[in-house]
Amino acid sequence: MSTPDPAQLRHAGVDRLFHWGTAITMALLLVTSLSPILGIRFAWYAVHWVAGLVLTVLILLHIVRALVWQRPRTMLLLSAADFRAGGAGKYTLPQKLMHLAWAVAILAAVITGLLLLRKAGVPFLERDPYVRSLAGWGVLTLLHDLAALLSVFLILVHVYFGILPEKRAYLRAMVSGFIRRSDLSVEHDLKRVDRGE
Amino acid sequence: MEILRYGHDAYGERVINGASWDLLPVAFWAGVAVIVGHLIWRAISRRSARRREEVAR
Repeated sequence: MSTPDPAQLRHAGVDRLFHWGTAITMALLLVTSLSPILGIRFAWYAVHWVAGLVLTVLILLHIVRALVWQRPRTMLLLSAADFRAGGAGKYTLPQKLMHLAWAVAILAAVITGLLLLRKAGVPFLERDPYVRSLAGWGVLTLLHDLAALLSVFLILVHVYFGILPEKRAYLRAMVSGFIRRSDLSVEHDLKRVDRGE
Repeated sequence: MEILRYGHDAYGERVINGASWDLLPVAFWAGVAVIVGHLIWRAISRRSARRREEVAR
């Protein structure tokens, strides 16, 4: 007789919606901004700023959800147990580091992007490039560009680890919401997971 | 390879415009390097794990 291998909820529907919404908007933002650099010319700006505003809303909702309904420490803080084989809580050390790297890239992109709207102009915000010096706009653009470059690097690494056969359970959990206890037990301390750490 | 993009202000002074797009292939190939590095490490650690299992048998 086989032993029961129950599945447990890993990602609620709203969190999966946030993840895939962020993925789509990030892809749109990178395609619209980097295609002209690669020689593909089209009217990219309208799609770019709309996708940027959608991403801003998603990030704000994610921050509120994490602070009010979730435990941000579970994802953000590293603990000694994370470094032990099989000792991870809900998230493994590489997953926490990936989240931190995405937080840096996306927050830098969103904050500088919102400030740059003033330079380029959008229907609800009149263009005024004189509110900042050329050097000031240059520094903001530099940070925005660096966030985009970091995102290119992170997308490659994130997608690679997502589709690795031994990590496929995490991808399935990001689609269905559920993960089997046996899949979790490979890298996670189930007691820590059950305590919500 | 350039790190930054520069322009000039009304007085002809050089000002930063942003990051150089020479860095785009660097970001891409850095990602590929991590992937290839991990695939090599994964193959080596799997082979040594198999050897340990054979020795234990």
